[in-house]
Amino acid sequence: MIRLLAVVERDLKKFRRNPVVLGMSILMPIIYLLILGNSFQGKLTSLPVAVVSHDTGPFAKRVVENLKAIAAGPQTFRLVILQDVNKAVEGVRNGRYKAALIIPEDFDTRVTLNGRPEIGLFLDNTDGISAETIRNLVSAAIGPIHDEYVPIREKTNEVLLRDVNLYPKVDYYQSLVPGVVIMAIFLGTLTTGAFNLVMDRFMGIDESYLLTPLSKSHIVAGLIISGLSITTVIATLIFTVSILITGIPFSRGVHQCFSLFVIIVLTTLCLLSLMFLILGRVGHPRIVGILSGFLNVILFFPSGAVYPVASFPGWLRSFAKINPEAYAVEALKSVLFKNAGLATISGDIAFLALFTAVMMTLSIITFKRTL
Amino acid sequence: MPGQQQSTMQEQKAITVSEITKKFGNITAVDSVSFEVERGEFFGFLGPNGAGKTTLIRMLTTLLRPTSGHAVVSCCDVVKDPTEVRKHIGVVPQAMTSDLDLTAYENMDIYGRFYGIHAKERKERIEYLLDMVGLTARANDLVATYSGGMRRRLEIARVLVHRPELLFLDEPTIGLDPQSRRVVWSFLEKLIGGDSMTIFLTTHYMEEAEALCKRVAIIDTGKIIALGSPAELKSQIPGNDVITLAVEHPSEEIAAAIETLPFVHKVKSEEGSVRVSVDSGAKNLPSLIDEVRSAGGKVLSATVHEQSLEDVFIYYTGKSIREEEAKKVSFFVGAGIPQKFGR
Repeated sequence: MIRLLAVVERDLKKFRRNPVVLGMSILMPIIYLLILGNSFQGKLTSLPVAVVSHDTGPFAKRVVENLKAIAAGPQTFRLVILQDVNKAVEGVRNGRYKAALIIPEDFDTRVTLNGRPEIGLFLDNTDGISAETIRNLVSAAIGPIHDEYVPIREKTNEVLLRDVNLYPKVDYYQSLVPGVVIMAIFLGTLTTGAFNLVMDRFMGIDESYLLTPLSKSHIVAGLIISGLSITTVIATLIFTVSILITGIPFSRGVHQCFSLFVIIVLTTLCLLSLMFLILGRVGHPRIVGILSGFLNVILFFPSGAVYPVASFPGWLRSFAKINPEAYAVEALKSVLFKNAGLATISGDIAFLALFTAVMMTLSIITFKRTL
Repeated sequence: MPGQQQSTMQEQKAITVSEITKKFGNITAVDSVSFEVERGEFFGFLGPNGAGKTTLIRMLTTLLRPTSGHAVVSCCDVVKDPTEVRKHIGVVPQAMTSDLDLTAYENMDIYGRFYGIHAKERKERIEYLLDMVGLTARANDLVATYSGGMRRRLEIARVLVHRPELLFLDEPTIGLDPQSRRVVWSFLEKLIGGDSMTIFLTTHYMEEAEALCKRVAIIDTGKIIALGSPAELKSQIPGNDVITLAVEHPSEEIAAAIETLPFVHKVKSEEGSVRVSVDSGAKNLPSLIDEVRSAGGKVLSATVHEQSLEDVFIYYTGKSIREEEAKKVSFFVGAGIPQKFGR
């Protein structure tokens, strides 16, 4: 019994004397609950929808009013009223809007003349959950037009919602691929780069290079570059296998591959620099272990890889605005499912590059060159 | 002109330390230490673990910032110009720092590249050094397969790749068996004979300091308590031999009786034995035994040896380095820096 209690006490004492691990053990479940609870199955809000109405008649106005009521009430939409159809559709293509709703100029005439009125809906179907929500709500919004103003004499009188999927269908497994790649990059950056520094420190062999003329930049950049090469290879392999398994079509060949490679490299650099800033002064692998769960939760789930960012509450959506993984997922989805070129994802690329530059600079500044 | 003369004098010193202090919270690890080391000198710091040797060496090698005071190593200030200092020194830290996942050759090669040494010169230098430490046959084996002694030899060879002007060795033979320790000593002796390198060594083995160092500073609780060549240090304490008597029932009376003898300088009672500093130990041993007997004691055994640096340490501190060692729990973990402060 004495022996058993000694083992228990030894372990408890070691645990108690490691305040970071203790603090994280308490914080982790709360953060899990907050972030995971808010990242899945939440109500979608503020989905940007462009509306172009070429008809000024009362029925067309009524459709817009109904949509506005949804935007004001459950706030599922954020309506943007435009005049130009091309601008609206282009906005969906480059990710500014989730959908574009077009009311043609003969809408009212067709309603009153029982001439089979139509409304056009261009959907970004690469985000299946958002597209489906918009489709259902728009159908609901045009329903009363039919019930109240159009006598049901024959089938042709119903307002027809002509929805157009702008991109080839993305099935569930295909939609997971960007998330899988981001997860591979996250794990790669966690176990290379700064982690090797933590291990050297833990093993006490960091002195061997701290005693040499290597500068802080040499050490930080050197470890980041080595982590970059390992993680890029791992992520590219996982990506290739995922694409082969899920059968995502590659229609733009080399150009698309190049864009994807740029995103993978930049995301890896971004996360390696972030890890360096966080782990740069850590001296025990146990802290890395517990931080890995924490970082994965706060970076991966609010990235939109599993569930759309539009379903998050305001605070989590604000966090997604500075979460590099959210930009990486967005960029990967655009290139993979929308055939977007580098120009379309230039905003995401710029954010990732800026984030990397800031994190790497801070890492070098905060890295301690002494013991 | 006198100013210029003084600066030339300073340039000739390999190390100039003035009133350097390092505090970790309330603990003063190094307390206002000052000393100088000449170029080409083999200089030793002797003291028990916890005396402040590693903290001092870490300040001199730019790993720790002093709380106060200054240190100039190879003409550069360790705080103002640490990078320049690092270019001129080679350091073998107390803990083994070679990469276990790399071979000996790879360890040395990467180290040489840290100093920007070109491939051809690096290869020649590494081959020469590996041969010198007798590791050529194992050069391409992973360091993980090495014994402690082999790894230590590799680490000494590694810091010589860039031909440092100044070599710091922090307890280079700690944890090694006597045979490996002798191998390291003979290797260090070769270094003294060869290059005009300055060597700064810390140790808690007095025989190591005595055998290798031209000058020795004895340090205890962060302060230098004596400094000079081993011979000078020993000449400062009275007597030239030490007789250790194992006595059946040692008592205060026996110690007092011995102290009255004319050839006795100092008596120190230890557990079951009495340590006596004397002149001409072998000649005076019979008289000493007689005196113990007449005081009612029984001598079980007796040894005579020459005064050593250990005796110098006892003379100044009243305790032996070995006693101090016994009090320490572990000297491998956190040497030179309390765990909660640095790491």
